Amino acid sequence: MAISIDPAGRELRALGRVTRWRGLRVLEVGCGDGRLTLRLAQLGAAKIHAFDPDAGVVRAARTAIPARQARRIDYRVGHAERLPYRAHEFDCAVFAWAL
Amino acid sequence: MVHALREAHRVLRPGGLLVDLRPAAKHRRIGLGQGRRWRLVGVMRETFDEDHAANRAVARVVRDGLFQRQARAEFGLDRVMDRMEDFHRWLEEFGKRRTVAAHGWLIRRLERALVTRPRRVRIVARGPMTLQVLRRLG
Repeated sequence: MAISIDPAGRELRALGRVTRWRGLRVLEVGCGDGRLTLRLAQLGAAKIHAFDPDAGVVRAARTAIPARQARRIDYRVGHAERLPYRAHEFDCAVFAWAL
Repeated sequence: MVHALREAHRVLRPGGLLVDLRPAAKHRRIGLGQGRRWRLVGVMRETFDEDHAANRAVARVVRDGLFQRQARAEFGLDRVMDRMEDFHRWLEEFGKRRTVAAHGWLIRRLERALVTRPRRVRIVARGPMTLQVLRRLG
């Protein structure tokens, strides 16, 4: 069984047009299973702090991080209304179907 | 939603970007086959109350001077599924985030359509995504 999201890569191209991701510190709100997180890493983000309120999907996302991206991605369980980060810590915040 | 956007404003550096990515407020179209061989089987029935609420929240933080609208784009996105079990799983996940009507009629129609198709035909859910970019002010 398999589900493939966006095999044509349109999402990746649309995100690529938003900004130059290389070297950015990115916050991802509502990361789910980490599908989009990996795409942001692919675009060159230096560090991605990704979180979701669902502990189950965060566990699954952690187990699916490719070794070469493990240092750049930090998955956490959390809520968008209470972010455990200092002010002005990120260059970009991505709300992935989280509003 | 407004609280989440205010938190994002706090942790973003001045001039930082907020990207709001979500399915557009349009009904997904379900069909069989990929690319030009895709054939419509049925159109999902969704409600867009959550989208309207999200739009209001974004409008609020823009009005409050926290963010400025920078860009907006829409692009098509396919979800390609091998089997009916995958479609059930996808529909369940989709239904957790957006209010959808009961889709027993669509499942039955898909099952009937699959009977007459080659074994390897894929189930494809098509629907646009919206991507909105806001720049942090202040």
